[in-house]
Amino acid sequence: MARHQGRGFATIEYPTGMNQNGDPTQAWIKLKPDGRVDVFSGTVDIGQGSKTVHTQIVADTLGVPYDWVTMDNSNTDSSAVCTGTFASRGTFIGGNAVRFAAERVRERILDIASKELEIDPGDLEIADGEVVAKGAPNRKISVADVAGAATYNYGELISGQGTALKPFAEVNDDDGSVQAEPHSAVSYAACVADVEVDDETGEVTVSRLVQVYDVGRAINPVLVEGQIEGGAMMGLGLGLLEESYPHYPSAEHRGEQFGAYLAPAIEDLPELDNVILENPSVDGPFGAKAIGEMANNAQPPAIAAAIHDAVGVWVTEYPATPERVLRAIKARAQPRREGKRVIFDEEISLRTVSANGGAGFLEV
Amino acid sequence: MELTVNGVTRAISSPPLTSLLQVLREELDVLSPKAGCQQGGCGACTVLLDGEPRRGCLVPVAAAEGHEITTVEGLGTPGDLSPIQAAFHQKYAAQCGYCTAGMLMASHALINRNGGREVQREQVIEALSGHICRCTGYVKIVDAVIAASRGDVDVEKEQGLLVAEPSEPAVEPKGAPA
Amino acid sequence: MKAVGARLPRYDGLAHTTGRTVYVDDVRVAGTLVAKALRSPHHHAAITRIDTSKAEKLPGVRAVVTAADVPKNVYGHLEALGVPADEPLLADGEVRYRGQPVAAVAAEDVETAHEAVAAIEIEYEERPALFDIRKGLDPDAPSIHQWGPVYPHFGPYNHRRVRKGDVEWAFEKADVIVEGAYRPAAIEHCPLETQIALVVPEASGRLTVYTCTQAMYFSLGVIAAHLQVPLNRVKLIGGTVGGGFGGKVDTAAETITCLLALKAHRPVKWRWTREEEFLASSTRAPWHIEIQDAVSNDGWMLGRRMLTLHDAGAYARFSPYGLTKHGFHHTGAYTIPNVHFDGFVVFTNRVPTTAMRGFGVTSVSMAVELQMTRIAETLGLSPWELRLKNANRIGDTTANRVVMQDPSTVPVTLAAAERVGERLGPEYTAMTPARRSGELLPEHLAAQQAPEGAHVLSNGGRS
Repeated sequence: MARHQGRGFATIEYPTGMNQNGDPTQAWIKLKPDGRVDVFSGTVDIGQGSKTVHTQIVADTLGVPYDWVTMDNSNTDSSAVCTGTFASRGTFIGGNAVRFAAERVRERILDIASKELEIDPGDLEIADGEVVAKGAPNRKISVADVAGAATYNYGELISGQGTALKPFAEVNDDDGSVQAEPHSAVSYAACVADVEVDDETGEVTVSRLVQVYDVGRAINPVLVEGQIEGGAMMGLGLGLLEESYPHYPSAEHRGEQFGAYLAPAIEDLPELDNVILENPSVDGPFGAKAIGEMANNAQPPAIAAAIHDAVGVWVTEYPATPERVLRAIKARAQPRREGKRVIFDEEISLRTVSANGGAGFLEV
Repeated sequence: MELTVNGVTRAISSPPLTSLLQVLREELDVLSPKAGCQQGGCGACTVLLDGEPRRGCLVPVAAAEGHEITTVEGLGTPGDLSPIQAAFHQKYAAQCGYCTAGMLMASHALINRNGGREVQREQVIEALSGHICRCTGYVKIVDAVIAASRGDVDVEKEQGLLVAEPSEPAVEPKGAPA
Repeated sequence: MKAVGARLPRYDGLAHTTGRTVYVDDVRVAGTLVAKALRSPHHHAAITRIDTSKAEKLPGVRAVVTAADVPKNVYGHLEALGVPADEPLLADGEVRYRGQPVAAVAAEDVETAHEAVAAIEIEYEERPALFDIRKGLDPDAPSIHQWGPVYPHFGPYNHRRVRKGDVEWAFEKADVIVEGAYRPAAIEHCPLETQIALVVPEASGRLTVYTCTQAMYFSLGVIAAHLQVPLNRVKLIGGTVGGGFGGKVDTAAETITCLLALKAHRPVKWRWTREEEFLASSTRAPWHIEIQDAVSNDGWMLGRRMLTLHDAGAYARFSPYGLTKHGFHHTGAYTIPNVHFDGFVVFTNRVPTTAMRGFGVTSVSMAVELQMTRIAETLGLSPWELRLKNANRIGDTTANRVVMQDPSTVPVTLAAAERVGERLGPEYTAMTPARRSGELLPEHLAAQQAPEGAHVLSNGGRS
């Protein structure tokens, strides 16, 4: 009886935006007479930090300080359509919507500044809340004064709207092919799991997760870390702890309280080593891709591979509970070889379990 | 009955076996403790009774009478944060924020119990065991509690915005404005 | 001063850390009633009688609603995407999962609401239930869904198909065929904030809905469709949510609370208990995945046959969408030129499954990555090098013919290897995501590669 160390890893990819697209986010922005910026977006902040990220995107697209920007995502009357916070679409699609809206606002600021300064808009740039002539930094006007002039001299509300929408990509039902890209971008990640397996109890402890994420551009690196860390624990739950139906496929014996359903707790926290790569997307805001959802995908297979590395058995029914690990250790199953076929997991396969050998599912 | 919450004593009319959480939220409008499970399992309703963390959903209000009850509202305000609140904000220990009040109270109690010494990681894990956070993965919560115990937070700085220098993009972004 | 790339503080961080963030449960409206639901105790049963008259007459009860009160009871959340409707808002004539809402009440206080639920007279006739998706097409499988055992609307097919290349050739050519089965479990979203809605009927006739939805406009559409009202009759107030993870895309509490508020002419709040959240809210789907991979001794992935069964639970909800996404990504981070994928959405008598973090693709990662590790073990190759060799490269095409423009299989894998000191051969450490050529472009990968410059850049959805 002993504790065995093991290491496993996994590499994954995950798409940004709803599969097959067709999921708009719209945003609009207006300026107050002192140049302060009101952003209206319907993107729901479920804790991932879209309000923060969208504010950063707007501030830099406009060239104004971050704290000039307020974000109202509070209701469906003042905000326009956002399909929702899911499909890892908040930073890319929601971010593009506020970016496109801010670009239009920027055009209006430059146009009015051009009249005030009598300089062609193409020769102006905005930085730190000031519109400045390129190459002549003393010729400038503040965005606040531009907004004031718009309001009181030109009779204009400086505003802009933006929509990010990739049209629905039809799928060919015969072969699954698509004519248009059915997502906005694809993010990638790799995860290395170091585990310890107790061959007496079947308990698996994750000691370390090394995780590498390509997010295109980390608009806010610390919020990206938050997704990586939160995702790591959710992935650990998927890999080792959580199941709604502990005797699946039976629907009985469900946990109905935290004492009976094992959501990862603080004592399950392994050492985490996060690496953020920035391989920019072609058309996301500032090169961003996505991070949210993929963050719990790589750990479960990395952990399962590490269990094999530690004790030489495959646990292919997730989560790898102590019971499943012990059963696997006891069975010491070897794949069956038939010609060049190497067959694992026959006991749970459709062919074995179904009364008709899987007819109807197989060979269609 | 009377209840002393964050230094203010008020008469209450709820029956004695009503949970403290229920009285705080529904009778006194003290809203920071959250009804995450009402099974004693998540920790989101944790408040302090004479400085000790208790689950508001498990304490009958009669048992809280005569004790000092402290909630997040009594720790500090946006203009006057307590060190643990400043640390949670500066270290990004809150994501959705629903577990935060309970985490703050249990952490605050731990730091006080520790008598001004730096708390160790194992102590944080013990103190927050049974507090469920589904968002953060706990990493930044542990960091925040240790930082607060060390005094490694700038309470003043929290009055305004933290503005950090941005990282340079690894590759020149293509989506930036011209 | 640039904001992008900066470690700026969370926009709502101070509100969170001072307890001042207002979630739905923190909104106070005078005269708010409490809602509770009557839920099915059976996995599958006919409702032979329902009588709410005693409940309605209880003092303090202000509204009782059943299927008869819903203007459009059966509405599919993905009707706009061509997924037909199968799920009633409130059960009508039958129940298909334990915990399914049958009726709801609004009362002055929680005790009265519980009493009213208990006073609803209801009789069931239990029916056989199905829980094992592998047995969905067995001859003796019970009939549990009007569309049959599987979702039948993938165009003319009852399954999602992905076909590419010549899979027969690949299996003929293979030195080894590795076969495995993988079963990710259902799990709970488990946000700290349970499903909740507060609905205020305004004097104007509009409904103000305080909501925990992750998708306000999506939920607005769902509510308006069930109520059969235009979108300006309902205002959602939300945007701040105590954790979602996909479960709050369901619009679980909002619409029924609207019905109660309309009937009672009073504000109504429905906060699910933690027990309801665990037992009656949707879960991540359980999956059953079988993979056969045709590989060469030197580690090329020549072809894949994959069969996926997705446990939808009692109704389709988002499952057909999730399964299609699963099929699109079933090769993982690798380029496999010859594939044959069939995916079925199988109905069972469990709580309908729904979106959860990684929807459709988490299960791919769980199955495919363990399969890759097994292939490496079977062939006696490095699992790192196997992955790098078959990595997605610029100009490669996915199983559904999408040309890859910026794949990162190589950089993330190499960065992970470096971080843990894994020693790889020089031909691997020098790899980049660049287009395949030379030894990395063997004959079997030539046909799948898109011509240089074939990819038409999109514009980020700018419109």
